[in-house]
Amino acid sequence: MLPDFLILYIVLAPGLIALTGLVHKFIGDKLVMTLTTAVVLSAGALSLFQLFAYVAGLGGHVAGGEEHHASLVAMSTASELKQHIITLMPWIHVGEFQANWAIRVDTLSIVMMAVITGVSGLVHLYSWGYMSEEPHKARFFSYLSLFTFMMLMLVTADNFIQLFFGWEGVGLASYLLIGFWYQNKAPNDASIKAFVTNRVGDFGLALGIMAVFYVFRSVEFGPVLEAVRQNTAVVPVGFTEAFPVRELSISFLHWNLNALEVIGVLLFIGAMGKSAQFFLHVWLPDAMEGPTPVSALIHAATMVTAGVYLVCLLSPIYEYTIYAAGMITIVGAVTALYAATVGMAQNDIKRVIAYSTCSQLGYMFFAAGVGAYEAAMFHLFTHAFFKALLFLGAGSVIHGMHHEQDMRKMGGLAKYMPLTYAAMMIGTIAIIGLGIPHTQIGFSGFFSKDAILESAFAGGAAEVMFGQLAFWFGIIAAFLTSFYSWRLIYMTFHGPMASKAHHNEVHDEADSHADDHLAADDHHDHGHHGEPHESPLVMLVPLALLSIGAMFAGLYFYNAFVDHNNEAFWAGAIYRSVENHVLHNRHDVPEWVIYAPLIVTIAGFLIATFTYYFNRGVGKRIADSGGPLYSLFYNKWYFDEIYQATLVRGSALLGNLFWKADKKIIDGLGPDGVTHVTQGAAKRLSKMHTGYLYHYAFVIIGAALVFGGIMWLRAGGVN
Amino acid sequence: MGGFPILSAMTFLPLAGALIIMVVRAATAGSRDETQAGSEGRTALMAGLIISGATFLVSLAAFAYYNPAEPGYQLVEQYRWYQNISYKMGVDGLSITLILLTTFLTPICLLASWNSINKRVTEYVVAFLVLETFMIGVFTALDLVLFYIFFEAGLIPMFLIIGIWGGPDKIYAAFKFFLYTLIGSLFMLVAVVYMYQAAGSSDFEVLESYEFARNAQTWLWLAFMASFAVKLPMWPVHTWLPDAHVQAPTAGSVVLAGVLLKMGGYGFLRFSLPMFPDASHLFQPVMFALAVVAIVYTSLVAWRQTDMKKLIAYSSVAHMGFVTLGVFSFNEAGVQGAIFQMLSHGIISGALFLIVGVVYDRMHTREISAYGGLVHRMPIYATLFMLFTMANVGLPGTSGFIGEILTMVGGFQASTWAAFGAALGVIFSAVYMLTLYRRTVFGQITNPKLNAIKDMNLIELICIVPLALLTILFGVAPNLIFNITEGSALRVLNLMAGG
Repeated sequence: MLPDFLILYIVLAPGLIALTGLVHKFIGDKLVMTLTTAVVLSAGALSLFQLFAYVAGLGGHVAGGEEHHASLVAMSTASELKQHIITLMPWIHVGEFQANWAIRVDTLSIVMMAVITGVSGLVHLYSWGYMSEEPHKARFFSYLSLFTFMMLMLVTADNFIQLFFGWEGVGLASYLLIGFWYQNKAPNDASIKAFVTNRVGDFGLALGIMAVFYVFRSVEFGPVLEAVRQNTAVVPVGFTEAFPVRELSISFLHWNLNALEVIGVLLFIGAMGKSAQFFLHVWLPDAMEGPTPVSALIHAATMVTAGVYLVCLLSPIYEYTIYAAGMITIVGAVTALYAATVGMAQNDIKRVIAYSTCSQLGYMFFAAGVGAYEAAMFHLFTHAFFKALLFLGAGSVIHGMHHEQDMRKMGGLAKYMPLTYAAMMIGTIAIIGLGIPHTQIGFSGFFSKDAILESAFAGGAAEVMFGQLAFWFGIIAAFLTSFYSWRLIYMTFHGPMASKAHHNEVHDEADSHADDHLAADDHHDHGHHGEPHESPLVMLVPLALLSIGAMFAGLYFYNAFVDHNNEAFWAGAIYRSVENHVLHNRHDVPEWVIYAPLIVTIAGFLIATFTYYFNRGVGKRIADSGGPLYSLFYNKWYFDEIYQATLVRGSALLGNLFWKADKKIIDGLGPDGVTHVTQGAAKRLSKMHTGYLYHYAFVIIGAALVFGGIMWLRAGGVN
Repeated sequence: MGGFPILSAMTFLPLAGALIIMVVRAATAGSRDETQAGSEGRTALMAGLIISGATFLVSLAAFAYYNPAEPGYQLVEQYRWYQNISYKMGVDGLSITLILLTTFLTPICLLASWNSINKRVTEYVVAFLVLETFMIGVFTALDLVLFYIFFEAGLIPMFLIIGIWGGPDKIYAAFKFFLYTLIGSLFMLVAVVYMYQAAGSSDFEVLESYEFARNAQTWLWLAFMASFAVKLPMWPVHTWLPDAHVQAPTAGSVVLAGVLLKMGGYGFLRFSLPMFPDASHLFQPVMFALAVVAIVYTSLVAWRQTDMKKLIAYSSVAHMGFVTLGVFSFNEAGVQGAIFQMLSHGIISGALFLIVGVVYDRMHTREISAYGGLVHRMPIYATLFMLFTMANVGLPGTSGFIGEILTMVGGFQASTWAAFGAALGVIFSAVYMLTLYRRTVFGQITNPKLNAIKDMNLIELICIVPLALLTILFGVAPNLIFNITEGSALRVLNLMAGG
């Protein structure tokens, strides 16, 4: 671990440097951009160094595959928690409610710090090119740095309250950045939708925190998680005797429920909001209205993974909650499948990747749900590289196409932007998880996704709730992932350039789908003139660096994250109960399970190649025919429409009703009736307005004396 | 304490200042003509600023003498009035906090009126100073009769501020305000008389240790509740507030939301809980229900508003619902949270009314639809508005969060239903505040009149920036306040428990 002052630098410097955005008028945009980029890049370098040094310190991280099974024996013994806490200052101290500003350094936060500052630094750099035509560059960069700071506060919190601070803080940054082009309607709508949907999740998270305090009389991770690990007897508020916490029942609303289940479900609702899981996912695709670097950083690599991080951090709780963990599994599995189906039918390049993110987050959740937290974190880690790569690559395409995002207007870009094409290919091979089983050959996604699928199968075999289902959903989603990823590549980089051939026709069609219309498009108003061009170096360097991660992060970190070194690596930051052998048992799954992901991935590739490479018309014909399944996927299963018709409209109607009640019922029966009687008095008062102040003063003092006098007489009359 | 009666000095300094202004004005009345009317107003405002500024300094001095480690009343002054009624003043952590809020907000109110009040400025200043005396008096009084006098007298200057310097419907609003509060107070008056009869004294400390009969407690509690519920205000007696706010001048709204509403919460903590503990327990479910209804109902109503001030007024009702929730959770987190929420709401809602006032002074409309795209012309305004928007939705890091989370944490311990309902408000507050912000600040400028609108001027910045800094300071280091209020909060809970 790094010395304290460097840790403080990594976490706090991005927050401080973000403040330069407030004074950009005086110091200039360039300086704000330079300072924020330099600070975050240096923090990124330090964090990555920390992670590499930490892994190297474990020893044997590059060991070959042969010795795995020998060392797996020791896996299920819980190891001592290695953790270092830097307390900055007290925050809220009210009785037993104690929360400090603190920085918690353990394996989880070391991994997260590396992901956050690493990707953020590259995104800062990339934005020099991508946002070069923007008038509000200082604002953009300071928001990015603010986000980085908030995210770091989230992952280094040592208590639920600071976690909540970071949690809502990233929500704020996300809101500001989605709505970065605030003059347009779509980004404004999307930013409010994101904030409010996240607030629905936070509603659960906040209640979960209240329940935690109620049960444990503490909001600090240390004591709370330790109590669960040890099954300590606790005395919730209002209880007269102590109960072992895992067996404790509390009354929530009018049910009597297991305390940990209640806490687990409530906190997971928060995770669902932040990580855009089924039911609360609706904000993520719309969040693509923000500038593309934001999508890469916030809505792919970091913020949306906060929910996964939370579940892994709270692994002690979820190890002892059958139903809450089952809920995580089913929600994750459904999301993985659902988002993949929608991703197949989208035409906006960013939305395809957004649904892909949603889907991959689903994988992470069901991995955590079946007990393979390490695999979830591993996928979170590798996904950050290849998904940021895909988004930044898409950004490069959009930049090269002069802010065109509709893939139907693209095609044949490979020859115009070969480097971007190469980067996108790497990202695609990584996300579909291509690799050869039983070897170390494959890109990052291969290692992490197969670890998840095998764990889910092993979980299913061990009768973990919904484990079997998660495995099958995961396999189908892997097939779809391969299909839509290749579809994206073919529509964008191969074949003829569509925008030249059928420019008008396609444009009309695009206009008929209002939600396809993009803010970036409106804002810049470049039209579609000019040849597509390769992006500048400042955008290609981040692509190159992320490509390296997308290729090798899986291989390099495999042993540490999920294989024979994982006990030493996690060092207690992730907890597994003695009954949980999922990560171990995944090595004993049948051979077909190990080959299944490869087979469906190739199948998806072949179908996409057939329909979008050899017969480019097929996709369009399916779209035009508008079959029910296609419509369902294209319209995202009508979630927006259903929510609009029920929740939004319902609340609005209720609001209007209450407002009428205020006017008609409360006022009508109350003051208006009485005021009617006193209108004469009102007229007299308006005459009084001509008087001078001492009249009023007289009234004031007189009234005081009258009241006083009444009191005096009353009091006197008694005795 | 035999020393300088600093609390009396603090309380009556504004009143004395008001009298001096009136005397000077009367003395110069003969030589006055129309052309000097403007400069006279400026002079009066300046005098008012100096007086209220001095009052703030005195309150800081009083605070310096105050020892937070001691839970009871301090700096006590007592002079016998009649029999067992005395002029008794003193402060504890609860009241000193609210006093500082009052003395801090009053100069800001006067300064904010610098450009927006143009008629009867001298009277306006006097009314504000008189109001300040009564507001401080409410918090310093340690005798029920004295309290009642201040509590009622405060109505009059506020009534005048709305009724004279208000908007087009000011008479309706002023009377509605007066009617609600007066009727509430009449019930309280009866209770005050009864309590004096029963306990033989109107001294708070005597009343706190006196054990009222269970049956009597219920009636007394209800009588006090009638008054405090109106002040706070609680649903369904909240409808005077939106009208009063909409019609009141900006400074009137600031002081109304900032201080006057807090008297309700103060009353619950000072009287209802310690003096009628059994009744408080009895009515806890009712209060929780009303708090949750206030939060959910008024949040939804706030969302449907087309008038900026009305929206913020309804949001005030919702935020005061958290105070009710915290107070009646009867635990440390809840009570401390409620006190903090009162302070925080005083700062944030005061600032929001000032924010509305800034554009109202320029455009003379509060209709949300008349705005849009302000960010293009007013970037500083947009930044500060964003800060207070986030504070009002309870974003962690601002003071708005601390009160909400603690009152909910406290409420959860007493009733998961109450916490569940209150937490819904967390969602709705985001809806109405972000919608307001988006419609006024974001988007394109559609109203051509906005093209020439100027960003905030120096006076406006001097008013609002300190509030912004406090919002963040108290959000990051709320212990500054908790250290002051801890003793009082625990004392209230001890008194409740019969300690």
